[in-house]
Amino acid sequence: MSAVSIRNASKVFNLGKSNQVDALRNVSLDVKPGEFVSLIGPSGCGKSTLLRLIANLLEPTNGDVVVNDKPAAQARLDQDYGMAFQQAGLFEWRTVRKNIELPLELKGWDKNARALRANEMLQLVQLPEFGDHYPWQLSGGMQQRIAIARALAAHPPLLLMDEPFGALDEMTREYMQGELLRICAATRTTVVFVTHSIPEAVYLSNRVVVMSPRPGRITKVVDVSLGGERNEDTRNRTVFFEAITAVREGLRGMHAAHVGLGNDDR
Amino acid sequence: MNRVGNLLRTTVGSALPAIVFGTLFLGFWEWAVRFFELKPYFLTAPSAIWEQFTSNFTLIRGAATVSGTNALIGLLAGTVLGVAMSFVLSRFGFLNQLITPLAVALNAVPIFVLVAVLNNMYSITSEIPRRIMVALVVYFIVLVNVARGLTQVSPTHVELMRSYAASDVAILRKVRIPNAIPFLFVSLKIAAPAAVITAFVSEYFGGSQNGLGSRISSNIANSKNAAAWAYVLAACLLGLLFYLFSVVMESLNRKGEVK
Repeated sequence: MSAVSIRNASKVFNLGKSNQVDALRNVSLDVKPGEFVSLIGPSGCGKSTLLRLIANLLEPTNGDVVVNDKPAAQARLDQDYGMAFQQAGLFEWRTVRKNIELPLELKGWDKNARALRANEMLQLVQLPEFGDHYPWQLSGGMQQRIAIARALAAHPPLLLMDEPFGALDEMTREYMQGELLRICAATRTTVVFVTHSIPEAVYLSNRVVVMSPRPGRITKVVDVSLGGERNEDTRNRTVFFEAITAVREGLRGMHAAHVGLGNDDR
Repeated sequence: MNRVGNLLRTTVGSALPAIVFGTLFLGFWEWAVRFFELKPYFLTAPSAIWEQFTSNFTLIRGAATVSGTNALIGLLAGTVLGVAMSFVLSRFGFLNQLITPLAVALNAVPIFVLVAVLNNMYSITSEIPRRIMVALVVYFIVLVNVARGLTQVSPTHVELMRSYAASDVAILRKVRIPNAIPFLFVSLKIAAPAAVITAFVSEYFGGSQNGLGSRISSNIANSKNAAAWAYVLAACLLGLLFYLFSVVMESLNRKGEVK
């Protein structure tokens, strides 16, 4: 049983045309339930593409993607995952509460059940007093916490995140990392997390998947043996630095071979 | 209470420069006419215009009602049609490519040509050609803006909705339409004064001589300049009324929203 299982997945954009792009080639990856896995790599390594294959927002050209023991397309229809992006992507015409309720509306929940769940999620992300605010009244970090609350509102077993803290300042970013770990521990959610940042990947993950650019492949998987309990002291531990070095070497190894590639992320 | 007081103070505060400037301008105008003894056919004094405006108020109000009704009906019809068409265009991309060149071509035709053509299609006393003309002008303004609002949605929003396995109808209802509403109000702010202007101009090309536009031209033809100016004043007020209406509509929609 695995939360995500990818077998020999490839993705080619514009197949057969002059602008054909080999975004991913023969990628295989298994994510266990409750695991936190980060995808890291230089721009254009296809990590966002891989995340979108899991989300079934893109179809693989070859290979299989299984999510929650069903084909990715079925998992999307069943709302088996929640998703968060670099932009919080809150609907500016909806209050914070109505934003969190959106996936529940689409599932056909009734009004009372939605309101109860929205309150629960606001508690979870520790913003209970902001339910009736509009998104623009919140800071970037708060908006991103609401986006996470929305992604988890239907209690999906899997959370897919595409550089969700990429637009935040360093202090907010570290705070959000702690919050994310706390929330995922409380909800036992499996996470696949795309990032550019090596310390972020190491701090958050059980495993860091290092990818190489065009065609995107998995070149190295770094196990992070920091254990379950992580806090600010974690960032000073030797194991933390060792994992960072291991990821950096994984990235550097291929960087030497691929200097000067384009920086298109898809 | 305090909030009302604050509102009043800011309104008066922001209107004050305009009031001061307007009063000075009118004063200078009055003074110039008297001091240089300008003949009425050259430039009429504000006091004479005001005298005409008050003494002919019933007639002016009647003419303003005729033009205002034409503008209002045309505005409503054009808005409804424009919104309806923008939905069709945003749904079927190929139609967009068919209709847009046609719309541009139609917009390039001088307005009076169309009024003349429309006038020939209906009886001489009919107000319908003018209303069609207003509707046509409003239609394109609304169509272009609302279609943009329906299509230019945030890619993150669409991707998010697809991750929820939302149908096209759900994406339309929960993303595209809410996104297009501010665009509709912006288009109304442009279209409302344009509707009034179009209603006047349409009257210059035949039909009943009952609206503000035809009164202005007939009074000028009879060298009754002060009376003509009185009708111009009414035209300004009518245009202002339509503009204010669209601003109020927008601010009602904005409650709780950005800025």
